[in-house]
Amino acid sequence: MRILVIEDERKVAEFVARGLRAERFAVDVANDGQAGWEMAANCQYDLVVLDLMLPSLSGIEILKRLRRRGSQVPVLVLTARADTPEKVENFEAGADDYLTKPFAFDELLVRVKALLRRGSLDRSSILRIGDLEIDRQRQQAKRAGKRIELTSKEYSLLEYLAANAGRVLSRTMIIEHVWDESFQGLTNIVDVYVRHLRGKVDDQYPKKLIRTVRGVGYSISEEAET
Amino acid sequence: MNPRSIRFRLIIWYAGLLTAVFLLFGVALYQVLRGYLEHSLAETLARRSDQIAVSLLANLDKTGERYVAEEIQSRYAPENYDRFIRITKPNGIVLYASGPAAGFDPSGLRPLVVNAVRGDFTRKETLADGIRLLMTTKVYQAPDGERFLIESGAPMAPIETILSHLLLSLLLGVPLVGLVAVGGGFFLVGRALAPVVQIARSAEQITLHNLNERLPLTNTGDELEHLSRALNRMIARLHEAFEQNRRFLADASHELRTPLAALRGEMENVVQQARTLPELSDRAGSVLEEVDRLAKIVDALFAISRLDAGESQQGWERFDLAPLAVSTTDQMSLLAEDKGIGVACNAEGKVSVDGDRARIKQVVVNLLDNAIKYTPSGGMISLNVRARNGQAVLEVVDTGMGIPAGALPHIFERFYRVDQARSRDAGGAGLGLAIVKSICAAHGGRVEVESVEGKGSRFRVELPLASQVTK
Repeated sequence: MRILVIEDERKVAEFVARGLRAERFAVDVANDGQAGWEMAANCQYDLVVLDLMLPSLSGIEILKRLRRRGSQVPVLVLTARADTPEKVENFEAGADDYLTKPFAFDELLVRVKALLRRGSLDRSSILRIGDLEIDRQRQQAKRAGKRIELTSKEYSLLEYLAANAGRVLSRTMIIEHVWDESFQGLTNIVDVYVRHLRGKVDDQYPKKLIRTVRGVGYSISEEAET
Repeated sequence: MNPRSIRFRLIIWYAGLLTAVFLLFGVALYQVLRGYLEHSLAETLARRSDQIAVSLLANLDKTGERYVAEEIQSRYAPENYDRFIRITKPNGIVLYASGPAAGFDPSGLRPLVVNAVRGDFTRKETLADGIRLLMTTKVYQAPDGERFLIESGAPMAPIETILSHLLLSLLLGVPLVGLVAVGGGFFLVGRALAPVVQIARSAEQITLHNLNERLPLTNTGDELEHLSRALNRMIARLHEAFEQNRRFLADASHELRTPLAALRGEMENVVQQARTLPELSDRAGSVLEEVDRLAKIVDALFAISRLDAGESQQGWERFDLAPLAVSTTDQMSLLAEDKGIGVACNAEGKVSVDGDRARIKQVVVNLLDNAIKYTPSGGMISLNVRARNGQAVLEVVDTGMGIPAGALPHIFERFYRVDQARSRDAGGAGLGLAIVKSICAAHGGRVEVESVEGKGSRFRVELPLASQVTK
């Protein structure tokens, strides 16, 4: 899988490229609009990560030119603006998804994988992490065969973590997925829910599944950690 | 009417001045007329005395006193014409005196002391029955040097009648003039001030969200047009200053995002690579937390600058505030429970508003979050939603620590903290309520707060109800 990153901010381009390479993608980087357009036009890419504010040729122009040529390549837009009219404009120009700066790399990765349909999300109806079992049809969770009573929000949170098992999910991602953007201002709601969830899922068991990565977020996985 | 209004004061001045001028004119008219009437009566009387002196007294030594008296009686018949004539001789004895007339009886008149009289004079005599006479006294020097005094009198009643009629009409005229002045003043001043009222009304409607609007100009070339133009230039300067401020905010938050993205990416990398070094990854995590906080502030500033610029109504929809409040309360109840605070939501009936649902929800979220932060364990928070007088009213009432009176006016300002210690502790940047205010203003509503320190606070949001007609 070959990904083109068009981003003039070298440091951002660099960490995106580095992270994607670590996930075994082939990554090309263009640092200005003109170069990016030429590369996108001349090579076959599976995905383009496109910054909007570029020297020499704007991101939205590159996007429009690509779509005018009939290219179906998925485009993930990086933007420094989060307002609705801008979003609408991006989608109208043919963007497949967008991400507001600053973003967690994992967030980018989840979106990239979703766009490439590599199925990073586990869509099976039963999710298993160690002895924790989540039945998506019945919206129920069991640990060591014992039923765990969860409120609907706790269940959504647990399911989201489990569907991305092993991946660190940022509070921003969790809020967007489990709540909605109106809650973006208060991050402690995630902490409170995770604490309650731990009380039900982890506290009675010696092996802890939910892990806190300071400054990044939460993840659920089999590797025992505190 | 407000006694301090220009209209009131102008009318008072106007009516007062007009009444005073009328009074002054009346007094002058009365005096001049009285003087004129008395003077002309005295002239007539004096002329008669002269006639008597020249035609009769001059020949007294030839004709005799008796002839003179009879001649006066037959020539002038003073009684029949309501006149009085008396001639006093040098020795003080009366040569002739007319008798009672139809209008008065002169018998009570005191005689004159001849030697006390130096020359001609006019006087007023009041008779016993209250009738006033105007009397002229003429000194006639006979060729032999003897001095005769010829008095000629007439009642003043006709003059007094004219004057009293004049006085009556003047007295009736004063309140009439006052009333006309007040009425006319009300009308004229009202007309003159109508553009001012119009300007005030238009100026009232210009807020931060429509600073691009201007006051209507009258093009009359008068002072009020100048005022409108001056105000418009001031609004333009305000607009520019505000625009600059807003653009700076938008640009700054925009420019900050990219370095924040780089910083965040780098630090995440450090966290990844430092998994085996707990101390390092903890430090890097701490940096990431700060990056998050910075990003949140940047987001909030950007949101405020967008809202203040008058965000487009593109994403607006009509929705019921009541279920939104119920579900939001529900979603946040765990936060309150976690602190041992009770939350109740009272939503009455259907409360439809037009707006950006996510933004309005953010108002509810921020107000509830604020209430939860500042209410101690065991407290109570209630969220009330109802429709009142064409407004959708949303109230968040808590039994928290309250806000000091001195802080109340600033509570919705950006970055304002009631007290440094307690807000840091709660982890806010002091932007939550500023966003609430901007969202309310962008939806044509407003937010107010009442608070008693130690007892609790009440935040009240008012948004225009969606009109039933249009849908």
